[in-house]
Amino acid sequence: MKPTSRLLALLALAVLPALNAGCATAGHDLYLFGAVNIQGRVAGSRDASLNGVYRRQADGSFQHIGINYPAMLTGSFDPRDPRVFYVATINGVLFTRDGGQTWRIGTSWDMTEPKDVRVDPNAPDTIYAALPDGLGVSTDRGLTWTRRENGLPARGKYTQVVTVDRTRVGRVLAGCETGIYLTEDAAQSWRAVHPTKETVNDLQQSPHDPKFWLAATQSAGVLASRDGGLTWAPVAGLATEKAHYNIAFDPTNPQRIAIGGWTYGLLTSEDGGATWTARNDGLPAKHRVWRTAIDPDNGHLYAAVVYDSLYVSADFGRTWQSAGLPNSRISGFAFVPKAQP
Amino acid sequence: MHRLSLLLLSLATLGTAVATAQPSFTGPVPVPPADARPDVLRRDYLARVTETLDWYQSAITSEKPLTREQILVKLIRKQGDAQVSQRVLELMAEPQSGDMFWMFPWTAVAFAGRDQLSPEARAAIRDAWRTYFPMRGDTENHWAMYYASLYLMSELYPNEPGTSWFTGKSSAENLAESREYLIHWLDISTTIGQGEFNPTHYIGEYAIPMIYLAAWAQDPAMRQRGQMKLDWLMADLAANTLNGVLRGPNARTDDTSVIERWNALSSYFSWQMFGNTPPPSGYGGWGIYFAILADQYELPEVIRRIAVDRGSDFVQRDLKRSRRRWRYSDVEMAPIYKTNYLRRDYAVGSYQGGLSDPIQAHVWDVTWAVPDPRGKHTTMFSAHPLSSAQVMQTYFTELPDAMIDGLASQGKPSYDVPDKILGSSPYEQVFQDLDTVIALYAIPEGVRFPHINGYFSRDLVNVTEDKSGWIFAQGGNAYLAYRPLAGYEWQHLLGYRQLPSQGGGYRWERVDHGDKGDKLLFSPHRHNGTIVQAASASEFASFDAFRAAINALPLTFSLEPVPTVTLKTLRGKQVTFTYGQAPVVDGQPIDYSKWKLFEGPHLNAEKGSSILTITHGKLQRTLDFNTLTITDQINE
Repeated sequence: MKPTSRLLALLALAVLPALNAGCATAGHDLYLFGAVNIQGRVAGSRDASLNGVYRRQADGSFQHIGINYPAMLTGSFDPRDPRVFYVATINGVLFTRDGGQTWRIGTSWDMTEPKDVRVDPNAPDTIYAALPDGLGVSTDRGLTWTRRENGLPARGKYTQVVTVDRTRVGRVLAGCETGIYLTEDAAQSWRAVHPTKETVNDLQQSPHDPKFWLAATQSAGVLASRDGGLTWAPVAGLATEKAHYNIAFDPTNPQRIAIGGWTYGLLTSEDGGATWTARNDGLPAKHRVWRTAIDPDNGHLYAAVVYDSLYVSADFGRTWQSAGLPNSRISGFAFVPKAQP
Repeated sequence: MHRLSLLLLSLATLGTAVATAQPSFTGPVPVPPADARPDVLRRDYLARVTETLDWYQSAITSEKPLTREQILVKLIRKQGDAQVSQRVLELMAEPQSGDMFWMFPWTAVAFAGRDQLSPEARAAIRDAWRTYFPMRGDTENHWAMYYASLYLMSELYPNEPGTSWFTGKSSAENLAESREYLIHWLDISTTIGQGEFNPTHYIGEYAIPMIYLAAWAQDPAMRQRGQMKLDWLMADLAANTLNGVLRGPNARTDDTSVIERWNALSSYFSWQMFGNTPPPSGYGGWGIYFAILADQYELPEVIRRIAVDRGSDFVQRDLKRSRRRWRYSDVEMAPIYKTNYLRRDYAVGSYQGGLSDPIQAHVWDVTWAVPDPRGKHTTMFSAHPLSSAQVMQTYFTELPDAMIDGLASQGKPSYDVPDKILGSSPYEQVFQDLDTVIALYAIPEGVRFPHINGYFSRDLVNVTEDKSGWIFAQGGNAYLAYRPLAGYEWQHLLGYRQLPSQGGGYRWERVDHGDKGDKLLFSPHRHNGTIVQAASASEFASFDAFRAAINALPLTFSLEPVPTVTLKTLRGKQVTFTYGQAPVVDGQPIDYSKWKLFEGPHLNAEKGSSILTITHGKLQRTLDFNTLTITDQINE
């Protein structure tokens, strides 16, 4: 890209309000995975915008880093070295070991369109990829991949999300088309722990209570587990007619949880999930929340409104401000502890 | 030189000159030569190549910078001067985009210019394969373009490290992965059937990568695969066209081509290969990317004859497959059982119904021949306008809500409109015997758009609603009888006019052409059906005689609890077809599981064989992908 074009693109991203500026001195870097200028985009579109990974800067703006690639979904970082991270993309699982300067497609043609990728924090050479036809595992930092699907159904193993239990190596939950599956041996074997009729869209483990998990589903509402994912029950007070897309726990406050979705927008709980409130005032009229996240440094709530912008709230959804990235689809957030000097 | 040869040469030269002045897409409808001598056919074939290249080259002016297509034409004609290299450098200095649609054109420039472009220009192209990261896409046509291009570029630049490629993989790794995928794709498409079968436009996205492999691959085996698959694609095209017009079911078409059946990239290939229909405007846009190498392809005469000979009626049955189903389905790829009946005046084609591809599929039609197909709506069919987020999720790895919302801006304006006539549905089941089609519908409660749309072309004449319940019409020299099985009303079928983009993708408006436009037979009944019977006008003394013959056919039907039809067809077959059950013809149930990959007078292949036999008269070509051999023989 010409220097002038890149500068313009950066300026377009740098429209964050002062709200975010204070975050730069906190303990985490924020990475976003997604694309801008998405309306009407199809494979083969001609487009000069910068897409892929964005990192929050000291002034609160977002800078594009690495390759320009419009179909990045989620990312996961090696806890030993934040320059090493893995991204689920339509081409497969990409990884970088130098902070995004160089990349490699780790997977081959036989693993495509991963929807999610996760590093096992207790065994960070091991990476899990949620595939539309199952589950892939790498044990060599993304270089080679194999399928580990023993126990998943032959049909019905579309996997949207994979989440590693931070308390135990090799313990992983997968959100599939037919329910929630659990492995406790690094995907050597899986067992169904809760069936669903349609896809499980997200699985999150509470940062405060590792036994407390929530699952966002397409047609079964939001499910909760209080025993580390072994049993699940619907969360009361949440609709089941339309899909919930994702869940965010507030690392700064165990009572605060957020749920994002296309239909219901942004829902929050401030009592640990007992009651829920829609927090869409201040968001666009079409409050299609593609992804929500909560900043672990200050509890700021993010809502990525698809085809619109990134929004941020300092009062847990009561008021919102645009955080830039117009006409965007942000599919993944990652708060990464800043590297120590 | 022989006097006749001189005359032919003069005519060829004249033909080229005329073509340059008036491109074939505005010129007269071409007629295949009665003299089928190989040299004449080849001369005409090459004249069409020349015409396409000339058309692009003639648009070069000193005022406008060269387009990528013009660069290619100059390179392929060995005119790669400094201006061409400079323009390549300019284009490479811009931000790159287009993904796999970027890959194959620049692959072509790289190969065509490898001995002409300046070192700087070649290096700029090469470096773009490091700095630009194209998406691989999510369809087989995307992957064909992606992997064929990556294969060729990895061969062109061997022994280079992963740091020099966007993939991060070395030349050898890229080559191995590309080769493995291409062979895998060839395996499944020649054993269990072509995905994205008979596409009106995407044929280019397969044919272009194949001719690139055939021409540019260093590995003779891959060259052979490209050549053989190109033969396969052209044979499939030949057997599915009526005077060059691709009709019948398509895995992928669009709102224009489903009714103006000629207006598709497939017509470029018919024109180039068979010379029996005009090409679409601008040679279909992508045609130039095939034309640059078309002179290196020798169309087998047996395929050409299948395309141009409609002197004898024939039935061809094929096995294809659906797009990959990621979820909400018991099968990964559903089998598609196609029936095609081709005659001189019309053709009837169908598959068994159900979902093939999630968008832009077309299940069945009767299409009639006309002297000039340009601008003509020469087809009749009905469809259920399915719009379903779950079906979209079956085929796409997306969250449930955004796809339907975004399709119009992505160039698919009709997906979620009630008068849609494009697309397949799980609630449609179809049976065809020769020129009789029965389409039955059982739409559950709660389904969006619980009605049936029948398509009635503005180009039909003598449209008559008979008191018997049949609707009679004539298209060209085809008599048509359409029997709706439930009540209906007539609506204007609105067209789509594309508006200038305002930065948010495609924009459309609907256009009402009034009483002179196409008509929609709107039938608001969930249990429903359509019977269509076609015949040549020459078979009857008059249109009234055809009407009388249809009205005399024994027909019983009911719609509850599920639609069922018992009909004696115009051809004397006793057909019973009940929704959810195997069709029964003369007491014998149809067993689709026994269908072959191809079966008919022209194309034959056993399921799982990877061997296709192409036959016309005494001519026969056999493509054996197991041994990568092509065998030609003349049968006595």
